[in-house]
Amino acid sequence: MSQQADRLRREELAFFGRVGAGVTHDMRNVLSIVGEYAGLLEDLAALAERGKPVDLERLKKVSGSIARQVKKGTETMERFSRFAHATDEETASFDLAGLVENTAALAQRRAAQAGCRLQVELPEKPVSVRNNPFSLQRAVYGAVDLILDCPEKDEEVTLEVASQGAAAEIRVSGRVAGGEADGQWADQVAGLSATLADLGGSLETSVMGETVLLVLSIPS
Amino acid sequence: MERIKILIVDDEKDLVSTLAERLALRGFEVETATTGAEALERLGQNGFSVIVVDVKMPGIGGLELTAEIKRSHPHLPVILFTGHTSRDDAERGMQEGACDYLVKPIDIEKLIAKIRNAVGRKESPKS
Repeated sequence: MSQQADRLRREELAFFGRVGAGVTHDMRNVLSIVGEYAGLLEDLAALAERGKPVDLERLKKVSGSIARQVKKGTETMERFSRFAHATDEETASFDLAGLVENTAALAQRRAAQAGCRLQVELPEKPVSVRNNPFSLQRAVYGAVDLILDCPEKDEEVTLEVASQGAAAEIRVSGRVAGGEADGQWADQVAGLSATLADLGGSLETSVMGETVLLVLSIPS
Repeated sequence: MERIKILIVDDEKDLVSTLAERLALRGFEVETATTGAEALERLGQNGFSVIVVDVKMPGIGGLELTAEIKRSHPHLPVILFTGHTSRDDAERGMQEGACDYLVKPIDIEKLIAKIRNAVGRKESPKS
């Protein structure tokens, strides 16, 4: 394996591990909450055994909360499953909007840690592309990272998907009062450009006032 | 004997509220905060016996919060919650001055033992 291919493989593995670690953290929280609700039910049952009347409304509320956590956990696992199955084939046909939505959902915790929320704006119709879905997920996550790493950013980072003739575009933007992140910005942009070039696409970056816009173009 | 007053800080609202209810059923006085900033605000107003803090939180994280608590309230014990993957962070938190940590999912009896231990340690006369 060439040095470049070896480096790419390591970067891809690191990205997979990073997303996986975020998902396990989310799942641990879900399981912790379900565990606490189960414990609370035990506590209430113990109180009932000692003669305290059972509060049915409270039980219904706990049951509803457990169901909500199970739904949240199931959605997280489904998203991670879609993410992981992107490695099944090097090249596949897929809906770009669905891929961006899924990647953004998986990056939501990373954004929250940076004090931000990811807002996704999708077209009404699917945007069909044929490309490497795993590398594209890494590119989208990388673009989000670039903005989240900027100091003094706004609370919202927007991801938009659009079809532009023979190309499909993912536009990632955010307001950053503190300018670009020191030091890492140029290296991260170069890395992202290289990833997109491998996908037959390109990266454009622009700064208009305090708004940073990254346009990731790939053939549709 | 004075009741033990606990502040639980975690960004997962369901977790803090349920844990608070379970601890209250066991005779503790409990308040909750879902951000580090809210915790610091509460800290200035109430006489807590112990603070229980999640390591991973948006904004002011658990480690930063621990360091800030130890600066403003050096004798107030801090116990950290952590996921298995962030155990290194918990150990870093101990270096920041936390007295103990607990890996999620939480075992309430273990948590209570750690709370009593932390409060006892604080109240025991210094040699």
